[in-house]
Amino acid sequence: MTSNRSRTSIECEEFQRQLPEFFDSGQDLLVHRHVQSCQNCSSLVRDLEYIAAQAKLLLPIHDPSPAVWENIHNALTRQQKDDDKSS
Amino acid sequence: MDDAKILPRKGGTHIDSTMKNTLRTADKPSPTPAQPLTAEARPVQQQQRRNPPIAGELTAIAQAQQGDGASFEILYNMHKRRVYSLCLRMLGNVAEAEDLTQEAFLQLHRKIGTFRGDSAFSTWLHRMAVNVVLMHLRKKGLPLVSLEETLEPAQDDGPRKDFGTRDLTLSGSIDRVTLERAVEELPPGYRLVFVLHDVEGYEHNEIAAMLQCSIGNSKSQLHKARMRLRSLLRQKANGKGAA
Repeated sequence: MTSNRSRTSIECEEFQRQLPEFFDSGQDLLVHRHVQSCQNCSSLVRDLEYIAAQAKLLLPIHDPSPAVWENIHNALTRQQKDDDKSS
Repeated sequence: MDDAKILPRKGGTHIDSTMKNTLRTADKPSPTPAQPLTAEARPVQQQQRRNPPIAGELTAIAQAQQGDGASFEILYNMHKRRVYSLCLRMLGNVAEAEDLTQEAFLQLHRKIGTFRGDSAFSTWLHRMAVNVVLMHLRKKGLPLVSLEETLEPAQDDGPRKDFGTRDLTLSGSIDRVTLERAVEELPPGYRLVFVLHDVEGYEHNEIAAMLQCSIGNSKSQLHKARMRLRSLLRQKANGKGAA
């Protein structure tokens, strides 16, 4: 029993150590032999894939304050005046 | 407002017929990736999903390149939300994000004449904004990839820490606001890589070049960021997280 548990733990450790590369390879991890036999790693993979998928759906929702454009406009006006003086 | 009068660009680039064709092509993103480490190298589908063509953008670009201030303001209004959101997510600070949005658009004004339509305009602009943010962080002396985070991962970060039995899976339980807040709580080094890769769609080779770290380091930081997010989101789902 103990040896089974430690073998599982070693398999989990080895699988999770390789996870960054597995994810980057784009392979379907849910069909990986270890994932199919390990509820914990299966849950981990599903969660991480879900987080990555949700992140792709994050939209740009924040607007800068009107002061940002005012500052840009003022800076460009100053620059224009400087250019006019020097020419 | 008479921007059209105040923003003539001396020596502004004219768009000849060849360039107009290139710009049209840019709206339907180029079918052939160019070189690695550039926006052009990113998968076309990804660019299109992230940076869909905007009606009237090509005309505004062409006119802004010739010094038309009103067209530059149109470009600002088309892209301000995306650029600001990018800055805010990377920095986690409203005042800094506004300052750097301003700096990004001032840099755009200086460089718009060099835009040749090799990639979508928004891709080109967003890369400029990312560089502005990274330069700002370097000037502040902040490590873009935290050594501490790399060498001594926190309790929930290590890939070898997740051997316990868990009942809950996150699937279906995250709303956008919860995820946004969790991303804000990430340590800066993790947040940068996560935002660049998972939100903005950059590849690890591009991120490694931008952050001056190895590709392996970028992958590792991303994995740790997702692990930390998982932990934060689980806490929130259990009602233990955000107070």
